[in-house]
Amino acid sequence: MLEEKVALVTGGSRGIGRAIALELANEGADVIINYLRHRTAAQNTAEEIRQKGRQAHIIRANVGEPDKIESMFAEIADKFGHLDILVNNAASGVARKAMDLDERGWAWTMDINARAFLLCAQRAVRLMEGRGGKIVAISSLGSRLVMPVYTAVGVSKAALEALTRYLAIELAPYGIAVNAIAAAAVQTEALNVYKFNEKLSKTWQTTSAGRMVQPEDIAKLVAFLCRDESFMIRGQTIIIDGGFSIAPLIT
Amino acid sequence: MTIEIIEDVVRNTVTRITRKDISQFTRTTTFKDLEADSLDIVQILVALEDHFDIEVVDEELESITNMGDFIDYINRKVAEKTARSA
Repeated sequence: MLEEKVALVTGGSRGIGRAIALELANEGADVIINYLRHRTAAQNTAEEIRQKGRQAHIIRANVGEPDKIESMFAEIADKFGHLDILVNNAASGVARKAMDLDERGWAWTMDINARAFLLCAQRAVRLMEGRGGKIVAISSLGSRLVMPVYTAVGVSKAALEALTRYLAIELAPYGIAVNAIAAAAVQTEALNVYKFNEKLSKTWQTTSAGRMVQPEDIAKLVAFLCRDESFMIRGQTIIIDGGFSIAPLIT
Repeated sequence: MTIEIIEDVVRNTVTRITRKDISQFTRTTTFKDLEADSLDIVQILVALEDHFDIEVVDEELESITNMGDFIDYINRKVAEKTARSA
């Protein structure tokens, strides 16, 4: 369990991040919810956490901007003094084919999905000094499978997974475990970008496990990676997809 | 805050992010006229939310057809925030 732990979930107001924030609170953690655009959703998630008897705090910050990351961690240091868990979940991206990608779209996607992981980890480690910690990054199967108009996000997630491995080894001596989770299509609003692709939507609807991945499936895996039971898992990207990636044509 | 000030901020933000000359912005201009892509629109919304400390609700933007509607929407959000904090 995660009693007395302080966790930061980036992009924690809705969807997968919300489910993770609530699950960590279920396990006893106090949770800081970072969000960018959906303040009401962040406030609602924080209120749900408080109803579980845990502390919740919301911070608006675009993790694509280094100075906003700095301000966010300064606020965490001021309010909590330390951090035990970082869940790097915030993600964004431009949905285009490689030949249609421009520099702005590439930079926006990489800054939020990959660079922010490095900068948040660097700042989080300072708040974990002397106490150890857990870092979990949320990736996706697009890091290794080619999906329509997913180029920039897929590449950014591949970078995130590689960074997970490097951080895991570099931070192991400090008692900090680093892992990533790569999910297949998860039932959230983010999937709306593909709602006009009927064939793709149908492919994702079912898996060998009989259903799509739900945010709560990922949240429970994050909680496991934050508990001491997962001590020997280091630098791994754990796939959670109901068997989709090994048998995409069998449902 | 007057609607003139809000209009000025919206005009400057939209034209800066879409990389268009300020003369191309009128109340009847549309995002399509400005060739704004989805990233432009997200960046415009984030910038305005930052500037005015408001929350723009994506679903509420669906009925907006031009910059005049957009300015009025931002003005309404700023007024709501002012009323809440009064």
